[in-house]
This record gives sequence, C-alpha cells and structure tokens, in this order.
Amino acid sequence: MSARPIVRRSASRLHRHAAVALGLLAAAAAWAQPGARPAPTPQPGALSPSAGRCGVCHPAERVKFDASQHAHEGVRCTSCHGGDDRSLTIELAHGGNFRGRTARKDIPALCASCHSDEKMMRAYNLPVDQYAVYQTSVHGQRLKRGDTAVAVCSDCHGAHDILGPGDPASRTFAPNIPATCGACHGDTTLMRRRGVKDAYREYLSSIHARELLDRGNLRAPTCVSCHGVHGAAPPAVGDVDKVCGQCHTAERRYFAASAHIEGMRRAGLPECSSCHGDHAIQAAQPERLATSCAQCHAADSDQAALGAKLWTEYRAAAAEIEKADSLITRADAIPIQTDDYRARIEQARTYLREALPAAHSVDPVIVGGFTLRARSVGSEVESEIYGKLGNLRTRKFVLILFWFYVLVTLAILRRLRYRTAKAH
Amino acid sequence: MSEAPRNATPDPGDTARAARGGWVEWLERRINLSELFSLITHFGLVYTPVDTRKPLREVLREIGSLPVTAYARWPQVLGVLAALLFALQTATGVLLAYYYRPTPEAAFESTRTIVRDLPSGWFLHEMHAWGAYLLVAVVALRLMRLFWDGLYRAPRELLWFAAVAMAWLVLQMDFTGRLLTWNAQSYWSTVRGMEVVWALPVAGPILAFFLGGRVVNEDVLIRFYVLHVIVLPAFYAACIYVTFGTLRRVGLSYPSAAGARVVTSFRAHLVDLLILTVLLFAVLVTLTTLLPFGFLAPADPYTTPAGVRPPWYMLATYALLQRAPVPMWLSGGVMLAAAFGVLLLPLWVRGDGGPRHLRRTRLWGVVALAVWIVLGILGATLDRP
Amino acid sequence: MAETQQQPNAAPPDGPTSRRGFLTWLTRAFLGLWGLGAAGVIGAYVKAPERGERIAQRLVRVGLLDDLRIGEGRLVRHGITPFFVVRLDQSRIVALSAVCTHVRCILGFDRERRILVCPCHDGRFDLAGNVISGPPPRALPSYTVSVRAGEVFVQL
Repeated sequence: MSARPIVRRSASRLHRHAAVALGLLAAAAAWAQPGARPAPTPQPGALSPSAGRCGVCHPAERVKFDASQHAHEGVRCTSCHGGDDRSLTIELAHGGNFRGRTARKDIPALCASCHSDEKMMRAYNLPVDQYAVYQTSVHGQRLKRGDTAVAVCSDCHGAHDILGPGDPASRTFAPNIPATCGACHGDTTLMRRRGVKDAYREYLSSIHARELLDRGNLRAPTCVSCHGVHGAAPPAVGDVDKVCGQCHTAERRYFAASAHIEGMRRAGLPECSSCHGDHAIQAAQPERLATSCAQCHAADSDQAALGAKLWTEYRAAAAEIEKADSLITRADAIPIQTDDYRARIEQARTYLREALPAAHSVDPVIVGGFTLRARSVGSEVESEIYGKLGNLRTRKFVLILFWFYVLVTLAILRRLRYRTAKAH
Repeated sequence: MSEAPRNATPDPGDTARAARGGWVEWLERRINLSELFSLITHFGLVYTPVDTRKPLREVLREIGSLPVTAYARWPQVLGVLAALLFALQTATGVLLAYYYRPTPEAAFESTRTIVRDLPSGWFLHEMHAWGAYLLVAVVALRLMRLFWDGLYRAPRELLWFAAVAMAWLVLQMDFTGRLLTWNAQSYWSTVRGMEVVWALPVAGPILAFFLGGRVVNEDVLIRFYVLHVIVLPAFYAACIYVTFGTLRRVGLSYPSAAGARVVTSFRAHLVDLLILTVLLFAVLVTLTTLLPFGFLAPADPYTTPAGVRPPWYMLATYALLQRAPVPMWLSGGVMLAAAFGVLLLPLWVRGDGGPRHLRRTRLWGVVALAVWIVLGILGATLDRP
Repeated sequence: MAETQQQPNAAPPDGPTSRRGFLTWLTRAFLGLWGLGAAGVIGAYVKAPERGERIAQRLVRVGLLDDLRIGEGRLVRHGITPFFVVRLDQSRIVALSAVCTHVRCILGFDRERRILVCPCHDGRFDLAGNVISGPPPRALPSYTVSVRAGEVFVQL
C-alpha cells in the first residue's frame, strides 16, 4: 500500500475530532444558558420590539424586560418611564413626557393606571380591584401615612422582570411566595421597628412549609392563603376559624358546633391559633388530646380530665388496630386469605382518623363514637383471625388421628406379612 | 420353595367366587389378562417370564411366591425409598402443576392461590417441599452407602453410574423447583446459585445457554419449569428403570460378612414395601404439619433480602467460589472435577476390593466428606449479617 | 398391589355373618379408607374453583343493573380495593376507587352534590375522579364498567 491513503485517513480523522469538539462546545454553551427562556443577546443599536433603543444604554434592564410578561403583551419602556425609545440621543430620549424612575409612593398608582382599567384588563381576564384592595391592606395604609419602607407592587412582582404566577421563575409562583414575603418579613430589624413578628422563620418550620417547599404540594397554603394577596392583613379574632376552615373544613364544622367557640370569642382568644399556634403549625399530633386542654383549663379540672379520657380511648383504638394489623401479617405468612381483613382495618383507620377532626367538638359522645367504632372493628378482625389461626391447631389434632390410623394400618400389614411368611 | 403354594389345595373362598363368577373371571373370558399383566416382567419388576396361558389369579399366585432376596439391613432400603419418594413427588407435582403458571407475574400469585385458597393446596405444596428435602437426603445417603460398601466395582458399575446420575438429577430438580415459587428467598438463592453454575469452566456457559442466560428472568423461569416437570423427571425415571433392571440381573448386594442370604416370597416383599410406604408417608405428613416451610413475600428483583444463600448442598461450592484465593475458573474446575470424579469412580479406583483396599478408599471418602462439610459451614457463614 | 396382597385371605362365601369374615371385611374397609381419603383430598383440590371468586379477582360482579338507581352511589367492599359504582343516567355508569388519595380513608358518597367526600379531611372528588377541593394530591383511579346480560361488572 502507498502512503497516501494513510495521510488522507489521518486528515479526515482530524476533521472528525474538530467537529466533535465543536459540537461539544455548542452543547456546553446551550447547557450553560440559564433558565428555560433563552435570553436574547443585546445587540447595540438594533431595535428591540419592546424596548426600542432604550437597551442601547440600559442593556441590563432591557434583558430583564424582554423576558417579562409585559414585553410579550406589547408594553414598552415608555409606557412606564415616558420619553422616546426611538431616539439615541439622551436629550431626545429623555425628553418630552419622560418620568424616569418612579418614586416608591407613586408605584401603586402607576401600575393601577393600566391594571385598574377594566377595558384593558378584560382581554387578559385579570381583576382590576388590586389597587383598591391594596389600599385597604396594612401595606397600603402605611404607605398612605408616608411610610415608604412597605411593600409596593414592585417588591412582590418585580419591576422589569414581572412574570405571571403560573411561571415557576416568578416571585408569585406558590413555592416562591414565602421567600418573596420573607424578603421583608424575614428582616428582623425592619419588622421589630414596626412591631411585627418575624413570621417567616416560624412558617418555614411548619407542616405547611414542608408540604409546599419539600414535597412540592402546590395546594399547601402559602402566606397569601391566610393573609390575602393584595389586601394583606392578619385575620382578626373571630375570623381565624374561617381562614383555617377554608381547607380544614371538617375541623371547622366540629369546632363551630362546640362549646369553645362562644367562650373563646368572649375571652378574645383567637380560635385555632390558641392551641395550634399561628405560623409554626405542626402536623396533627393525637397525643395533644392529653395536653392541650390543660393549657387553658386547670390541670385538675373536668375539662382536662376529658382530654385525657379522649386520648386514652384513642390510644386504645390505635393499639387494637396495630394488633390486628400484625395478626394479619402473621396470617399472610401462613398464608390465610386476608384481603377482607385488610379492608376492614382500613375502615377502622378511617374512623380513627375521623376522630381527630371530631375532637374539635370537645364532645365525648361524638369523638367516642369514632374511636369506639374503630376499636370494635379492630377487635372483631382480631378475634376472627384468631379463629382462623385456631383452625391451624385442628391440623395438629388431625395429625394425632392420622397417626392412630397409620399405626392400625401398620398392625394390619404386619399381621399380613406374618401370615404371608407362614403360608410361604 | 415356590412349589408348595402352587400345589396346595385351592382356597375355598377362591373356588366359590369362581363359581359365582367374579369380575376377574368375567373379564378373563373376554381379555387375556395375564398377557396384559406380563408387561411387568419387562420393567424388571419381576425377573421371570409370565406364562400367559394361565389365568391371572394363578399367575399372581405364582409370582407372589417367587423367591426374592429380602432386605437384610436398613441401608438397602435407601434405593427403594428414592423410587417411592419420586413417585410421591410426581403425584404431588402433577397436582401442583394443575394451578401453577410459570410467568414472573403469575408464579407467586398462582402459588399463593394453591397454598391459600385451594382445599388442601397447602398440604400438597408442603408435601412436595418436604419430599424434595427427603429425596435429596436419601440419594446423598445412598451414594455414601454405596461408596462405603465399595459397591461401584464390577458387576455393579451401572448401578453406581445410575446412582450418581440420580443424585445429580435430584439436586438439579431441587435447584430448578426452588425458583418456581418466585418468592424473595427462592429468587435470590437462585440468583446466587446461577453464579455458581456460571463459574464452572466450559460446563458453566453451556449450562447457562440451556438455562436461558445468567439473568434470572421470565425465560429462565419457563426453562426451569420445563426442566423441573418434564426433562429431569424423565431422566430420573430412566435411572430408576436402569437400577431396577440391573438389580434383577445382579441381585441385591450382600456384604461378604453378612452370611447367608435371607430369601422371602415376592408377596412378602410387596407387603414390606407397603409398610415402608406407609411409614414414609406418615413421616412426610408429620413434617408437613408440624414444620411447614411457610410462605414468603414475592420476589422483588430490585431488593435483595438479607441472609440469602444458595441451597445447602451448594454452600460448599459457593464458599469455594467466594473465598478461595484462586481464580474463579480454577475453583469451578475443582468442583466440576469432583463431580465427575465421583461419577467415574469405577474407572480410577482399582483394587481387589479386599478389606485393606476398602479401608483405604473409605478414608479418602471420609476426608472428602469432611472437606465438603467444612466448606459448607464456611459458605453458611458467608454474608451473614 | 392391593390386588396381590388381598388374594390369600379372600372373604369366605358366607360373608360378614361369621366372625372371621366380618374381621376381613372390617380390615378391607379400613384399608379402603386410605383410598377414600386420597380421593377426597385430590378431588377437592382438583375441582376447578369458581374463577370469578377466587382465582381471577379482577372482574368484579357488582349486581343487577336494574337494582342500581340513577344517581345512586354504591360502595362495593371488594378486598383491599373498595370502589364506588355510580349510575349517572340511563346508560352511563362509573366506577371509582373509594380510597382517598390523601391518607387512604374510605370515601363517602354525597348524593345531592354528586361528589365523593372524604370523612377525614373533607377532600372532595367529582365523579370523574378529579380533586375538587381539599388535601388529596391525586385524582382517584377509575375502573372500566361493563354491562353484560343486565349485570354490572367492574374491571379492576
């Protein structure tokens, strides 16, 4: 063979390597792009459909704005800032009705100039009452009194980079809301100056936050679920049960029918939060039946004794169910048909779980109705499985009979053997 | 000896029945029953031709009083136990196969249906499991016994080959049957067992090829099933046939020291067998009822339960493969050589069969067994949590 | 084999009247019980089980179509998968799991609102299985319903 093909082959290999390297570079570059929405690279002098020529001098703002919901809907820089976005000279661009940076106290009104316009918002199916609602909120009230260190529209929604609440990158996307509120409400000095508690950290320790942030349950409550969105304010005494009852309907129903509701309102005690706390709410703990009552009532009172009684009943039922459950596992290993028992234990567990919301009625008849039913189903299943396990013991009795039979048979065969030998 | 009953006066009951015309006589007038019956001589069960001109009753009486060498010692019973247990395994196995479905999805569920929902399904299942346990023990003991007594030399080579083949087959039937229930323990012990199979040089890949690969999946399951219910039992039955046929030819073994042979009638021999069967059955039923193997969780190919080891008879091999400081093919080769060495014992153990020679070979056997037991204990302690 | 061994002591002609004949008869009856027992055990085992009940628990017979009134929701307590069968109108029937996707409580049927309500945390499902309100994270699984010869079957 001559040397030429070898040279050519090595050359083509070089090309291939270069192509692979380039491809890898391109892939790496594509991978390095932040976010799902590819940000358009600013090109000086070129016209941007939304930012006009403003981006020539304000590239950072332009990049943010181009990715925003507003840019998609044809809002321009000039819509909020005024001026002329077709001009490249500062005098002309910043001339005319140019407003520049809007003062914080004027931001709500500026946003409202569009967002309170029913005609403009109708196409987007957006409400137009946010401005009015905002003014009723604690934020709005303080702003009116001249405190500009309160949340205005841009603090929660962003300024240039406003996104809808359905966008995971948005500050108003449900799992991002705690951090959005926490930007201020987690600032201890800022809050202490206004006499507001630092609720952000408390919330992060709650079952609600764990559901929302750790397990990604978008139905779990965020700050706005209880405090309202634009009309953010703490719920008043007398309203707490309504707020919590939006989700905890069964608890609210029982609580509303209980002796507690009237007494607590008279005493000025907030309903749910008196026992459960407000922000650091934890998962249902049945053992609180035993301790909660004594928080308000005397330790030796009838009421505290009632709590202890409910807890005892609950525990007895739970123990019964656990016992039945372990029996079922034992029966499965034999195996015995247990599907029906499993179904009934599931039913018993349902009763037991129902007892917890029912405990808000503080009525021993109602709560006992559930716990006793759970307990009786558990013990029924238990005794039935014991019955079936007892059937297994009959196998051993049958074995004794069987051996008796075997011995008699062997005796007969031995006699036969003997007679056969004799005849032989 | 066989003259006496033949010439004895006929049983008065028998003649009366003949006069009445029993159903045997009724059939006899239409079919030559003796001709049909003569097939048993072809299976080596009776080593004598049957005179098909005589009526069946007379033929039976003649066969019944044939002189037969009696079992003199219990070890001689092992061979017949291997056949009886096999018959029992066949009966329970066929019944289990009525409801068993060999797919990974259905294997566990159908087994559970048998054990849990079908009347006496648990009984058949446990009988089959305990029968297998006893069968493994019986063929192993039988092999040891034949070796101990030096019963692999002429003219008994064929018996030895058949006995070794039966031991192999029983182990393979146990190995394949173990997987079929598809529960956590059986699945993972099969996975471990396949490691052992795979490690055998030359034979490993060939076996794995026939078993459907190294990975225990649906293909392996159906092949194990076919091997377990058709192929291996057929070979085993053939071995039994060879054993019976050869035994009728060369006679029952008698150690030279045992003295004169005890001769009994064929009928008494059958009654002995019947007694043996009843005893065996009773022992099996007792084990089944008092010590059931129980029922385990279904196999999950993604979770290995703790403490899973190959079946006990593979523990020695397993230990050798996992712990020996030699390459895997070498330890696999040692196992393979040992298996074939046992099979081909008559080829390489030469000697007069006298007491000195016997003592020497026995010593070798004991040493080999001790090594095997030590390795087995080592294998049992491997991976113990 | 049984034939062989019984030959020498066959019953005398006068049958169970004599003592020896009776004993023989008794012995035979006793030994015959082995066969009877084996036949009983094997027969009971081999008798094909009713497929719908034990072996294939996938297709569940719910009942007669005429017994299921329109708007009625019936809880079928089928093993570990209880389900609701709801007749929407003359021809449409739906079957939904009765186990709440939240913490596995057994749902109840609200006839007026035509929804399934969880007694534990008030999770609500519509009759397509979707979560209307409450904590359940997932929709309810639904099953195929078929009507054959006037009977309603649900394929689990």
